Amino acid sequence: MRWLRRHGLSIYAGAALAYMLIPIAVIAVFSFNDPEGRYNFTWEGFTLDHWENAFGVEELTDALITSLELAALTTIVATVLGTLLALALVRYEFFGRRAANFLIVVPLATPEVVIGAGLLSLFINYDVSRGFSTLFIAHVMFLISFVVIVVRSRLIGFDRSLEEAAADLGARPLTVFRTITLPLLAPGVIAAALLAFALSIDDFVISNFNSGTTVTFPLYIFGASQRGIPVEVNVIATILFLVTLAAMLLVLWQQRRAERMAAVRPEEV
Amino acid sequence: MRQMKRLRLLVIGALALIATLALAACGGDDEVGGGSDEEVAVVEKGPVEGEVTISNWPLYIDKGNQGTVAEFQEATGVDTTYIEDVNDNNEFFGKLRPEFEQGNSGGRSIAVVTDWMAKRMYDLGYLQEFDLADLPDVEANLRENLREPDFDPERKFTVPWQSGMTGVIVRKDLAPDVTSINDLFDPKYKGKVTMLTELRDTVPLVMKADGVDPNGASKEDWLAAIDKIEQAAASGQIRDFTGNDYADDLTRGDVVAAIGWSGDAVQLQADNPNIEWRMPDEGCILWSDNMVIPVGAPNPSAALEFMDFVYDPQVQADIAEYVNYVTPVDGVKEILAERDPELANNQLIFPDDEFTESCSIQPTLEGSDEQEIEEAFQQVITG
Amino acid sequence: MSTARRRLVPYFLLGPGLIWLLVFFAVPMYYMGELALRSGSLDEGFGFTWEFANFPDALSDNSTQFARSFLYAGVATALSLVIAYPLAYAIAFRAGRWRNLLLFLVIAPFFTTYLIRTLAWQTILSDGSPVVDALSFIGAVPDGGRVLDTPGSVIAGLTYNFLPFMILPIYASLERMDRSLIEAATDLYASARTAFLKVTLPLSAPGVVAGTLLTFIPASGDYVNALFLGSRNQAMIGNVIQNNYLVTNNYPDAAALSFVLMAVILALVVIYIRFAGSEALMGDEGGQTR
Repeated sequence: MRWLRRHGLSIYAGAALAYMLIPIAVIAVFSFNDPEGRYNFTWEGFTLDHWENAFGVEELTDALITSLELAALTTIVATVLGTLLALALVRYEFFGRRAANFLIVVPLATPEVVIGAGLLSLFINYDVSRGFSTLFIAHVMFLISFVVIVVRSRLIGFDRSLEEAAADLGARPLTVFRTITLPLLAPGVIAAALLAFALSIDDFVISNFNSGTTVTFPLYIFGASQRGIPVEVNVIATILFLVTLAAMLLVLWQQRRAERMAAVRPEEV
Repeated sequence: MRQMKRLRLLVIGALALIATLALAACGGDDEVGGGSDEEVAVVEKGPVEGEVTISNWPLYIDKGNQGTVAEFQEATGVDTTYIEDVNDNNEFFGKLRPEFEQGNSGGRSIAVVTDWMAKRMYDLGYLQEFDLADLPDVEANLRENLREPDFDPERKFTVPWQSGMTGVIVRKDLAPDVTSINDLFDPKYKGKVTMLTELRDTVPLVMKADGVDPNGASKEDWLAAIDKIEQAAASGQIRDFTGNDYADDLTRGDVVAAIGWSGDAVQLQADNPNIEWRMPDEGCILWSDNMVIPVGAPNPSAALEFMDFVYDPQVQADIAEYVNYVTPVDGVKEILAERDPELANNQLIFPDDEFTESCSIQPTLEGSDEQEIEEAFQQVITG
Repeated sequence: MSTARRRLVPYFLLGPGLIWLLVFFAVPMYYMGELALRSGSLDEGFGFTWEFANFPDALSDNSTQFARSFLYAGVATALSLVIAYPLAYAIAFRAGRWRNLLLFLVIAPFFTTYLIRTLAWQTILSDGSPVVDALSFIGAVPDGGRVLDTPGSVIAGLTYNFLPFMILPIYASLERMDRSLIEAATDLYASARTAFLKVTLPLSAPGVVAGTLLTFIPASGDYVNALFLGSRNQAMIGNVIQNNYLVTNNYPDAAALSFVLMAVILALVVIYIRFAGSEALMGDEGGQTR
């Protein structure tokens, strides 16, 4: 009984995590499927063909590259804009703070259908042709709010005393920002960037309205879902997952090393 | 102090509103929609060169280095981009309508849409016309029964890409005795049947099953059939309304009978031989997907060249082999008879007149009737 | 730094981001509002006729879908909270060195795209799948019933797809919490349970509020889950809007519906925040100027 009490939480959490990863497992399993026809719905046999030929479906690979490029660019821009916004909102008192807050939060309350369609009407009215650039604009727009929320929550609990100490020691505001604030803020900014990247790759609804002839990964899948999704899609989805997992493990490993080499930590003083 | 803050907020709000209004007033239409009143442009065939972009449905052409697009590029030197972004007539139309309104085609020179959508686009002034004299192969090889359709009797703005039949796709092993659309209303199959979201396939089939001819049916006939469908949907008899995604339901056995398209069945059978497309007792619906040239299409000459290119029976044979729908070009059956006799004798790909005897051409709707019927059907589809 | 320049700093920081949002969010909303006041048809054109009736009509014609959307979203949010909180807690307090890895595993499914994940659920929940067989064995599914194309599957999809939005904010506020407060509570003879209920839970409220909002709001406007996992009897308001925009091309109705949806969501959010305490989300404790 006590064992259950002690480990109950971990078991529950483990189950929750497993639940989150079940579809990934299904996707991965079906990436080894060997369907006779176009449809990949029932298990028909094991093969590594699609793994060997993962990038063989040209439109799929093109769509994937487009999505990755788009995500990378929009993440950088949205993270910068969003971080600046968060800094302003949390640390400064100014005219129009409430309104600015409102403007940032409302997009989160707006259904994607509405955002997508609204942007489309705007582009039409000003005769902007739809394509990569309109996708870029749309993605940055909806990503900003997310970045602001993540960075802001990091800023709110921020310990200002370190900055004040630096200032007391004669550092100029910009230096303080560069050497103290930014590094300490980094985890929050990185988290925001990761979230933004994931959201951008994932976006379907808004992209559908504003993509013109550009095809992103989700748009390709939606089209394909009507006529039979090639197994390569499963392969690529699994690869994406594994690659990001590997990247994360690498980052963790680096962090571990850095921590071990770091000097005295504040709490231990 | 509180009041000061509130007042400030109001002022900011008002300023913001004025700012956005001013910005918006700088551009913008007075009218939205309504089509164009301008003269319909007619394409003049010029030299064939440069680049061309084609928008088509997925899986409608043989791809790859030996595929039709590659062949065309080699034969004409035209840099051809082929994109598969037409997944649904309405969705495609909805996405591009604003561009068409402005006289742009979004970079496309050819788009492929179903008969009724082609007609709608034409009526709204979104298409260009062309002269069949510029399309010799089309003129020579277009199948007889496709030469003078109701919606484009002179073939001025459409050239069929592929034709197809809408009937009922059945799991032979789970629902062997389904042969008519009315069988889909049989309580025995409650919750295991689906119908199409395509208004002009589903409702005409239901009408036919009740003895009404869809071509020439009155609005009341349509609405009565829609009502019948609605009741079946609300009671759970009809599991869902689908596009091509009946494929997964059928393969898994979640659905045992679905209204579906002939070309899909040929592919589904490869994965599961128990799946069969059946000609309903009362007949099927015949439709075509057509190549059209939108307004503002860049390089229409190359577009015409491509349209003509695919009407060469040799080229079309490659397409027919891959696509499994009904080819609109004469002379293909003979060519395929040598390559793949089984394919040539497949009624779904080369149906003989007897097979399609009681089939009806997909009806077109007009004007305010169209809107009313579409809205009624939408209510059924979205519960 | 001179006082004048210092006062301008926030505006420089705000400038780019706010302008982006203003031009690409506020202005389109204006156009949408303008569109909602039109009437007509695609063939004849949509003239601007101050058709205010579009708004109440939108609400009354689609009241079933509205009610359904908020019901599904509400249940999904509640379920999500139940699943997410213990997981977030475990990661914040028990995970130690594995914390970042676990967090990553929470976000990771996002990288396989929304559509594929939902389609995978379609396979998992199909009538003949082992999962459904197991569920009907234990009686969770009625005899002869099915899981796919029912409210259950749509809610399951919604819950699953928005879990990270619930987990991350809760984790964030738990992680930032000052552990010494819990120690103090136990020092004062509180049991583990009491310490949790009286210290941890209230302090994590901001995260819970943020998480529930970030889940409920997009879930109510969602249409992908209902599209792939439900039948027409589970159609949500997002499906209706999408249909109106892209299928029947009934732009004024679509625009009016969008506004009504936004209005209802905002109203619910305002009530919720007032109830839960506004500092939680709006961050009113700002203004930390030197």
